[in-house]
Amino acid sequence: MGELYAIYLRHVVLMVLTLGWSRFWGRTRLRRYLWNHLSILGDRFEYRGRGRELLIGFLLAMVMLAGWAGLMWLAWVYLFHEKPFATFGMFDIFSLSVVMIGFPLAYVGHYAGLRYKLSRTRWRGIRCGLAGSAWRYGVVATFLTFANMCTVQLLTPVVTVNLARPRISNARVGTLPLAFVGSAGDVYGRYLGYYFLNIVAWLAAIAAAFAIGGSTADKFGLTSDDLLKLFTTPSLRTVLVAAAVAVGVYLLFSLLILPLRCWWQAYWFRYLVSHSRAGNVLFATAITTRQMWGFLVLNYLIVLLTLGLGWPWVMHRTLRLIAGELWLYGAPDGASVRQRTDGGSPFGEGLLDMFDVSGL
Amino acid sequence: MAPSAATPARYYDGETAQVLEVGVRPTAGELILFRPADSSIVARWPVNETAVLGDGSHEGAPPIVRRGGEARLVIEDPEQRRQLAALIPHLAALAEVPASAGRRIAALGASLAVLVAAFWGVIDYGTEYAAPWLPYSLQVKLGETVYEELVADKDECQGQRGLAAINDLANELARAAGYPHEVTVHVIDGGPVNAFTLPGGILVFYSDLFEQAKNSSQVAGVLAHEIGHVVHHHPTKGIVRAYGVDLLMKLVSGGYSDLLNTLTSGGNILLAMRNGRAFEREADATGVALLEKLGLRADGVSSFFEQMMEKEPKDAASAAGIWSSHPPTQERIEATKRPPTGRPAFSTANWKALREVCK
Ligand SMILES: [Zn+2]
Repeated sequence: MGELYAIYLRHVVLMVLTLGWSRFWGRTRLRRYLWNHLSILGDRFEYRGRGRELLIGFLLAMVMLAGWAGLMWLAWVYLFHEKPFATFGMFDIFSLSVVMIGFPLAYVGHYAGLRYKLSRTRWRGIRCGLAGSAWRYGVVATFLTFANMCTVQLLTPVVTVNLARPRISNARVGTLPLAFVGSAGDVYGRYLGYYFLNIVAWLAAIAAAFAIGGSTADKFGLTSDDLLKLFTTPSLRTVLVAAAVAVGVYLLFSLLILPLRCWWQAYWFRYLVSHSRAGNVLFATAITTRQMWGFLVLNYLIVLLTLGLGWPWVMHRTLRLIAGELWLYGAPDGASVRQRTDGGSPFGEGLLDMFDVSGL
Repeated sequence: MAPSAATPARYYDGETAQVLEVGVRPTAGELILFRPADSSIVARWPVNETAVLGDGSHEGAPPIVRRGGEARLVIEDPEQRRQLAALIPHLAALAEVPASAGRRIAALGASLAVLVAAFWGVIDYGTEYAAPWLPYSLQVKLGETVYEELVADKDECQGQRGLAAINDLANELARAAGYPHEVTVHVIDGGPVNAFTLPGGILVFYSDLFEQAKNSSQVAGVLAHEIGHVVHHHPTKGIVRAYGVDLLMKLVSGGYSDLLNTLTSGGNILLAMRNGRAFEREADATGVALLEKLGLRADGVSSFFEQMMEKEPKDAASAAGIWSSHPPTQERIEATKRPPTGRPAFSTANWKALREVCK
């Protein structure tokens, strides 16, 4: 982990020195480390992306955004004749349009970024890749997410299965395609259980918060007036009290709700892995709710409490989790898996970089 | 090392996903890769066509390639990589051992601490000098945008005489401080009892402040204080600093973490509070000095604060007012205390007009 820390710190120092422009090269170095320290069947992954590819991708995304802004400006001048209607100005049109296209584009970028990363990944010298259209994925993902919102999240299994499928079954190692054979029906029962337990947990947490909050206020003889004063003339004490209250509420909710979430996530992850395969290689994992807690909650806290400096530690924990919990059965027939002759995505992850959704 | 000893390695042919355990034997001009079982030759790579991909500090085992091909040779054992590198200068990169991680982390950590401190210093003191250089038209645009947002659902008072009176005094004070631009005072009907300054010399007063004020010198005091904010470019500095801290947090998190946005806002609040205190003290001092320079009654700032202190806010509306942005403290009252002498800032007629500016 020391090596990873040194690479990460170097990246952060350069980020501050270059006001962020070194991030393309820093990310590349971090990926080289992470990829090459992860192996399957004794063979390490190899990352051969270049920082300048990410830079070009970023610049392309910027050009696209500028083009869009120009288009909006033309629309403003020629369609609206520079007249705001109902206090709706040029700036509002632009920001609204960015929100409207930004949501689908984030998904497009996500898929395109995955394609880029896979195209720069090698295993046993064989390039990986991702087929399929990022735009199609963006449209499907937007539609499904919207439908899920309209049905108070009850479509979550349909959404997750249908978003996981293209990302897995379009991925390949050379000529060997991966496959995903899951279906939403399999996980619906568990999801509904999680859904209603979640509602119960929220109600319990809110009730508990009120009970605790009320009794503390009584105990210290606080009135609403005192509370108001506390916030209108903030002192160090107020800030500390507010922080303590926030931590208390956070703990209460996390104790009731996050374990449930981890329980569902662990189940979903086990399902996802065990329903994926690559040729005659089968995958499996027995990741537990507790391990998922460590992955989702503890990792989050580590990054938060170290102001981001704990990130390499989190990555290290994640590598260990993958190494320990991803099991393979069977071996690929090496001779039948061949290198593909087509290249892969030529540019970096412009859209992804712009929306800043890439975990790695 | 005996020249005949072979190095065990994994060989990927670059065309299929087969793995071959091979022995590597360097000769004068070639790397000979052979099957250990029967010594049959797998490949012969001319030494001057070989290269190492990556390095020992990023890659766990940097692969060796023959340039132009996709085949790879991986030697897992670092000691054996080092020995091979010693024999073949082309593969020297294999032997590169990074300095101890601990020492590099210490050095990088120290430079990061210095950089963050320097960055903070640039934000904190740099804005002091940089903010006034921001194009004035941009500052006005910024201030106007914020103003439009703020007053979208409120009534702006239109009393010509009152507005003229307060705008005249505001510009007189600004000129006395050597401020080169026109300032504009807007009055909004109602409460809370407050006044604030936006970038580009835009001042906003709530009419409740005129009603609560005991005399015109209190209003003049508050106005002079706000002009203090204007001439020190406090609103612009505040915004620049908030953005600076935001940027710093993003950079320090390696550009990775959205989680930190939460913390960023926390950092901004702390900064705003810290800035707040320093800015208020500066505006107080400048305000009083400007009134004295013009020979106007300068007891308004402290007497207004005293009055505010006496009747602590009991309702949310007044609490959200002058208390939130200008907390009256004993320290500030002491620092701004002046005798009630000097010319009144408003004539009786103007003072009456100002109090009726919203009628
Ligand atoms: Zn002030």
